[in-house]
This record gives sequence, structure tokens and C-alpha cells, in this order.
Amino acid sequence: MTDVAITTLPPAPLHAFEIWSDPHGVAGRFAAAFGADLPALGTSVQAGGLTLIRYEPTVWLVEGDASTLAAVLGDDGALTAIGGGLVRVRLSGSGWRELLSYGGQFDAFAPTFAPGSSAATVIDHVGVRLWVENADSCVAYVPASFGAALVHFWHEMAALVRA
Amino acid sequence: MSGPSRAPDGRENIRFTFDGKEYLARPGDTLAAALLANGVGLVARSFKYHRPRGIMAAGVEEPNALVTVGLGGRAEPNTRATDVFVHDGLIARSQNRWPSLSSDAGAVFGLAAKALPAGFYYKTFFGPAKLWLKYEALIRRAAGMGDAPTKADPDSFAQRSAFCDTLVVGSGPAGLQAALTAAEAGDSVILVEQDAALGGSLLVDPDPALGADWIAQTIARLRELGARILLRTTAAGYWDHNFVTLAERLAEPGAVPSHGFAQRLWHVRAGRVVLATGVIERPVPFTANDRPGVMLSRAVRAYVRRFGVVPGQRVVIATNNDDAYLTAQALREVGAEVVAILDARTQADVPAGFPVHFDARPVAAVGTLHHLTGVTALVGGRTVAFKADLLAVSGGFTPVVHLHSQAGGKLDWNEAAQAFVPGAIAQVCTSVGEVIAPLPAPAVVPAGSPKKSFVDFQNDVSLADIDLAWQEGYRSVEHMKRYTTLGMATDQGKLGNLVALQRVAQEQGVTVPQAGLTTFRPPYTPVTMGLLGGPGARNAGAHVRRIALHDRHDALGPTWQPAGYWFRPRAYPQPGETLGAAALREARAVRGAAGLCDVSTLGKFEVSGPDAAALLEIACATRVANLKPGRGRYTVMLREDGLLMDDGTVWRLGDNRYLLTSSTGGADRMAQHLSYIRQVLRPQMRVSVVNVQEHYAGLALAGPRSSGIIAALTGASAPAHMGVVAAVIAGVPVWVLAASYSGERAFEIHGEATAMGPVWDALLAAVKAAGGSTYGLDAMDLLRIEKGHVVIGAEADGRRGPYDLGLHKMLNPAGGFVGAAGLTRPALTAAGRHRLVGVEAIDGAPIAEGAMLVAREGAKVEGHVTAAGRHVLGEGGIALALLADGPDRLGAEFLATSPTRGMHTRVRVVSPHFYDPAGERYRD
Repeated sequence: MTDVAITTLPPAPLHAFEIWSDPHGVAGRFAAAFGADLPALGTSVQAGGLTLIRYEPTVWLVEGDASTLAAVLGDDGALTAIGGGLVRVRLSGSGWRELLSYGGQFDAFAPTFAPGSSAATVIDHVGVRLWVENADSCVAYVPASFGAALVHFWHEMAALVRA
Repeated sequence: MSGPSRAPDGRENIRFTFDGKEYLARPGDTLAAALLANGVGLVARSFKYHRPRGIMAAGVEEPNALVTVGLGGRAEPNTRATDVFVHDGLIARSQNRWPSLSSDAGAVFGLAAKALPAGFYYKTFFGPAKLWLKYEALIRRAAGMGDAPTKADPDSFAQRSAFCDTLVVGSGPAGLQAALTAAEAGDSVILVEQDAALGGSLLVDPDPALGADWIAQTIARLRELGARILLRTTAAGYWDHNFVTLAERLAEPGAVPSHGFAQRLWHVRAGRVVLATGVIERPVPFTANDRPGVMLSRAVRAYVRRFGVVPGQRVVIATNNDDAYLTAQALREVGAEVVAILDARTQADVPAGFPVHFDARPVAAVGTLHHLTGVTALVGGRTVAFKADLLAVSGGFTPVVHLHSQAGGKLDWNEAAQAFVPGAIAQVCTSVGEVIAPLPAPAVVPAGSPKKSFVDFQNDVSLADIDLAWQEGYRSVEHMKRYTTLGMATDQGKLGNLVALQRVAQEQGVTVPQAGLTTFRPPYTPVTMGLLGGPGARNAGAHVRRIALHDRHDALGPTWQPAGYWFRPRAYPQPGETLGAAALREARAVRGAAGLCDVSTLGKFEVSGPDAAALLEIACATRVANLKPGRGRYTVMLREDGLLMDDGTVWRLGDNRYLLTSSTGGADRMAQHLSYIRQVLRPQMRVSVVNVQEHYAGLALAGPRSSGIIAALTGASAPAHMGVVAAVIAGVPVWVLAASYSGERAFEIHGEATAMGPVWDALLAAVKAAGGSTYGLDAMDLLRIEKGHVVIGAEADGRRGPYDLGLHKMLNPAGGFVGAAGLTRPALTAAGRHRLVGVEAIDGAPIAEGAMLVAREGAKVEGHVTAAGRHVLGEGGIALALLADGPDRLGAEFLATSPTRGMHTRVRVVSPHFYDPAGERYRD
């Protein structure tokens, strides 16, 4: 049987990490501080207790204690708290990709959507950002105002996934 | 024995009812097969003449046997009996008849058929116009199909996407082979079949060359290769870029779905589409060719071989092709007598052993309600009568080119088959199988009475109607279609369109392609509204947006107000209190003590970086750069054309850090606008713009006691009007913005949404202790109207500039903002523009929102009321209005008239600031 679980995660510190100048310099400082490259579009990196997901061309979504990133940015960008506006929902189990096929036009089975990948799409009229945590789960970052409704939608669709 | 029948074999264990009578069916029976097996030939009444109709086809092309299946909200009208698989407890009812199917009073229209030709209502009911409503009610009652259910559909519907390399539509031999070939080549494959079983024509005509197990082996191999196989799924629409919509039935019509979902709509994006959609057999026009007992030849064969039903005992077959001889063979196999084969061709190489008549065509059929009793034919010019209970007809084959055409494919004319076949197509799509190679079938000139030779069975369109349209000058096939309603019923002319085109071509003396062809549009077969997004598809609509403190508000029992996608408290009525009374009480609490309101839905943007002020001075039409840290300002944002887009406040939180707020309704628009400025107009700027609308929850605290509350909760003096400070309330870090929308000393408290519960609790307790209360949108509206604050969407209605709303004096004199150039247009400050004013009722009466401002009844409209309220502490109706040259007409009197509300109030034009025009109440 295809299984899927929907879990609303507790609030976490989330920030928008935006670079407006010297992107190479910032990337170098980040690599020096965290031992990893800033992730490219559609990808993520986990380093130093942080998860960074490329969010927009010049913006990364940062999950975790971002206080150390201020030094990395220097005067080349800004760190803005956004955690109050997002709900994190974990979709897990063998059916999480099929669940993401409902209510939108998103190829959750694409080989490029592998663990560590990220994507932005619309699910049931709600703009969400997705991060493939591992082969068995994916975290969706959902606008808080839509959180309850989208979780309800996913629970309804899960019945069909399990059928 | 005459008529359809089936010998029981012990598998008849499914109970169903038709028009209240119980019958038994076998597993795998369609409703049509089960009815025929039980000897039921009469299934429906026709749309216009209420003629008795039976089952003509065995697939989705069935034009006659439309029934209503299911009960209550689950009832599905106009369902083809050939497209419903019987399930235990199925309840089916006939339609469009009264008092019963066998004794239908509406059949009287058939007697008057001569008076009811195509377009009769255009000629009959042309006037007087006011009587049309009466005509329409009568026509709709007399002519019709099933009734739409009045109860809500209890089932759910789902919509999902899928992506594949190859999508194959149709699972006949060509479709199965195409799917197998693609899957074995490594493609991801989706195979869809509208039937409940795979195999298509092989289910009726097994191919010895493929072997008996070929279907099962192919299916097993496909599954092994990971192909997705969807049964009971119709490819309903073919759109651009190989986007195909599939309608999947998860439960049969009327059945209770085990998991709650009745249907699923698939949005499939395919790399390649293979159409193996087959053909539809054409009927033959002759007198009474619509009677129960006249069936398509292949359908007869399907009922015999797939369902074990013998549709008739003495059968006449009328054909113009070789295929019908297979039907003769199938009938002989089950013991039915083939009385005659009427072959319209003058000669052909046909199987021996059948009573074949060449150059023969049916002229008329006669019979009872459930089957035929005789067929008259023209054989070599002589009229010959046959006793028969079934007439199987085959007028050739029409390829199912609907999806090909929807995809933009051209059609080629196949003269031998007298049919259109798929031609060139720009999308990555191929057609395979019988659809590209229909059997030859020459054109045949019909015999019989044109008036009763039907071509569109669903809409009762006869050859005579086609002829009449031609005689009356309808030359375009599109006009003829609309005049006669040919092909406009739920079957979209699947059977009859080509027959009609042949008639039109014959009338014009041209070929069928020259006569033209109507457009194929989705859906291929009817799709329920629920599947597409009706009320039953509860997940297909936009969601409600909940504010962060939704549950805390809900505990206070507010009346919720939809505001865009948001739900916001409109008021918090006390027991027995009307909404209006609650709003007035809440507004008075603000004026007299303190009120607490949720303003979390405001647009909010954090703008930071060395160029933050410079960017804001592009987005905002007011000065920003001269704001000192800790100060804020009311601002407006313009469109490129100089008209007002939004308004809000801008706050300098730090040296290079600003918070910009905008209206709730304009938040998404502002996000897009700021992104455009940042990414397109000024990509070089050293600035970050982050949408923090939902990150911050916002609470408005207003009233003369509000600054005291802030001081008590923060332990520091409240900021002065338009000041901003960082503070901590109930242990939660917040920004306290001293801004007022109510006209009172007021504050907005913004903090991280997930943490704002305790802040709300602390503020609410303090407000109550101060003698105040919560207030909702209605009270907010009363307060802002009295103060003369504009709102986006009411006074700023998309046609107003700063000058119209009295905001022009606050514009940045240095210019440089979006809309600055547009503002220079002389028209934006020309005389006669509708500009903001206040109006007050001369006699204190209420003023209608939306009322027109006229000098007297019947005079020209000079303005309108944008928002109406009343004095909060005093009495009397007041309103904001837009009036031609409004500010120059203070003291003038008008009639505020709203005929739709029946309200007519004499008003006087005044300043829009009814309350504290000097702004003294902003100061402690």
C-alpha cells in the first residue's frame, strides 16, 4: 500500500538571505565559514546547523540560527526574518511524490527533483516552496495564512493516494 | 419471441432498477446491455418530438439512451446507458417524459412535427419581447433532457497532474501495440481507455493472428515496464504543447465511491501523444430510423459477443460496406435469423450463405415501443417488405478525429470511406489504427421521408431540416448548424454530423470537404461540472486565508467577513445584538475609550540596504529620504498613468531599514510592483525588498486611552503620532507604530505572527479594563468615513489621481517616482473631474452606499456615494462621495438616490473630514 503522512512542523527561525553586491565575495566568505558552497538554483545545502535553499535569483531561504550569516553578508546583503509567515509541513512516506501531484501541475517524479532539490510551485492555488529532505520526505514551506487549508487539502488527497 | 433478450447463465446477480422496476444484470454489463438483456427496448424520449427511442450504439457515441442515474445530489442526468456499468443497487430513470416513458403526453409534439421544423421558434416567438419569458418557460418544459440535481453532490473530486514520454489514447490493438512499443523503448507511458476493459475492437472481434492471450500478455508486459494504465478514463481535451485533460471515473455514475472520490481530472503533459481512437459507425437515414430496434451494426455485434445479448431474433442488416457481414456472422452464431442484408452497393465480394440484396436501401421501419415489426426496403428499385424485429445499420465509419482536431491537426478527406481522417499536425502527435484507415463505404442517396429521416437523434434534426435550412439561405455549415441545432447536443454530432454534411454537399453540388466542417471543441464527451470545479469539487476553489490569530478571534464569536481570500472579523455582536448595533457600539468604544482590531492582513514589506530610501522614493509618490529614524509617514503609490494604485505608511526602523505597509487588497499587487521596481527598473540598487505581510501579525489599538495602554504594557512612553519604536509586550518583541485610521490616537503593533498570541491577550485585557472592546471591519469603516480617510477600491477606484482625492499637496516635488510623468497629463487636473467630498443628510436620514448624486430626480448624475456611514457619537447619515468639481461645491444640495435600494436622501456637500479636522485627537 502506498503510504503518506502529513506533519505540520513547529515554527522555526527562517530568514531571507539576500545578496545585492559582490556575490562571489559573499560566496567565498560563506564557503570559508561553513565549508560549503552557496547552493545553486533548485538545490540546497545543509551546513553549520543551517539549511539554505536557493529561493530567488539573489535570495536564499535560511532555516536555523542565522546569526552567523550577518558577518558573511557584510555590507553586501541583508538578512530578513520571515519565519512568522511560513508554515513548514513535512510530507513523508512512499506516496509523498504522488500527493504532490494533486492540485497542481508539478512533476514530483522528475529525476531532477532528487533529495536536496528545491522547487517553487502552486499547489491547490497556493504558492509553496518544496525541499526534498531525503528520499522518503519533503518539506513544504507554505504561506501561514493558507497553512490550515492546504494541510486539510493534503489530508483529503492522502485518502486517494492510499486507496 | 421478438425483441432483445439474453438467456440466463446464472451470473445475473446484480440488482438494479429502471423507472422503478427491478432487473438483474451480469457483472460487466453496461446499463444498455442489461436493459436489452431484460427485453427493454424503449429507454428514452427524444428532445423535441418526444419520439420513442431505444439503444442505438454500444459506446459513448450513443445519442438516444440518455438516462438519469443515482439519487439526490449524486444523481447524474443525461448519462448514456451505454457508458454506465451496472452496479448493485443502481437506480436509473428515464427522462423528458410525462407521465411515463411508455405513455408520454409530450408525444403530441410528434403529431405536430410539420409545424415544428428547424428554427420554428425563431419564426414563432419573435414578439412581443416581454412575452418571451413565458414562451421560454413553456419551451424549456416541453423540450428538454434530464433535470440537474438540486442537492449538493456528496462526493469529492480530485485534480492531479502527470507527466509522461508517451500518452496513448485508446486501447484497441493499435493503441496497445503503440503503448507496448513505447514502453519497451524505455518511455514512461500512460495508456487511457474510456471503457472498463482494455482491448477495444478485440473485445468484439478477436484477431486470430494475435492469439487469444495477446491482450492479457500485453497488459502484463506494460505493467512490468511501469506503464500507467487508466480505465474508465476519457481523454476529454487536447490543448497546446501536448497538454491533455483526462476525465477518470473512480466510481460509476450514481455509485457511492469507496474512498469518497467520484472522479479525477488528470492534467497530463506528454512528450508524444498517440491517438488510437478508432471510428464511430454512421447511421443510415430512412423513415423512422430512430425507432427502438434500429441499431448500429457494430453495436449489435458488441452486444452479441461481449455481453451475450441477442438484440433481435429476426434481423435485417442495411450496409454500404463489408463490416456488417461480420455482424451477420455473429448473429448467426447465436441463432438469430438474418432475414436480409440490404447492401447499397451494386456488387461486392461478400460471404456466401446470407440473403444478400445489392442496390438495396431501407425506406422505413415500423414497430412497437420496444422493437421493430417490419422493415420496408428499396431493392433494385422495387419496394420490398421484411418482417423483422431488429434493423442493424452501417452507413460507413467516421474516424474519431476530435482530439486530433482539438490539437490543431488538419483533416484529409478519404473519398473511399467518405470520411475525414487525421492529416498534418504541428504537435508531437500521431494517429494509429482504424482512425487513419476507415473501411471503404460509398455514399448512398437516402430513401424514405426526409421529415422522419433523422441525422441528429439527440436534437431531432432530420434531413428535411437540413433541406429547409438550405432553402432558407443558410449556406455556411456553421450557420446551418446553429439554425437547425445539428450537432449541438451532448453527443456533439458524433453520429450525425457527417451524414448531414453529405446532405449539404448534395444540396450544394459540391464535395463534403467543400461544404465545410464545423469545429471540434473539448470536451470529447460530456464532463460533469463537479469534476471541473463546481461546488462538489471542494478542493478546486481558492482557499480561505486565515489570519494568525484566527482562533483567538473565533473564540469571541465574531461575524466573519470574506475580504478577498481573507476572512476577517466584521464585528463581534453580543447576544441579541444586530450587526449594525455591534459596529456602532464598537466604534463608540474607540471614540470613548479604546478598541482593538486585527490588521494583520495589511501588506507589509521590509526594505533594507543603502539604497532603501532611494527605492522607496521610486515606489512612493511622497518624500521618504527625509524621514528620520523612528518616524513614519502616510504615503501613496501611483500607477504609471498617474492614477492611485495603493496607499499605506512608510516607517524608518533604522538607518537603512524601512517598513512599508499597503492595503490588504493591494498587497499582492504591491509585491509585484516592488519586485518590478527592484528587479527591472533598478537592478543595480543595493537594496533588499522582502514581503513580510504574513511574517508580521498586526494589531490596531485606537482610542483616547490607547497611549496609556501602550505605556503600561511597554513600560515606556508611547511614541508620538507617526513615531515608531521597538518594544516588548508580554515578552514578545514588537514594533509600535503610532498611526491612526480611526481619527483617534492610535497604534499599530506588529510582531512575529507565530508569537503574537500573548500580545493580543495582554492588549485585550488592557482594553477591556479601560472600558473598550474589540472592533471589526464595520466599525473601522464607520470611523474612517467620519474621519475622511480614503480606502483603496472605494474612493480610490482605479480612476482617481492624487488631485481627485485631495492628496496632491503631499507629492514629492522632486518627482522621480512611478507615475510622476503620468501626473503631468492635463486631464488629471481638468475641470469636471469627480473629486472627493463629504455629504451629510439634511434631515439626518441614512444615505445609501452607491447612491447617485443628482440635483433632482431625473437630472443628470453628477457623482456618487462611495462609502456611507453615520456620525459615531452623534446622529445623522454621513458619507464620502466623488462629485464633479466636488471641493468647489461645498454647501450645494443634492439628492442621493439609489433606486435599487429604494433610498432617496437630500444631502449637503461638505468637507470629507467630519471628525476632528485639525487632528487634535492624535495628540495626547
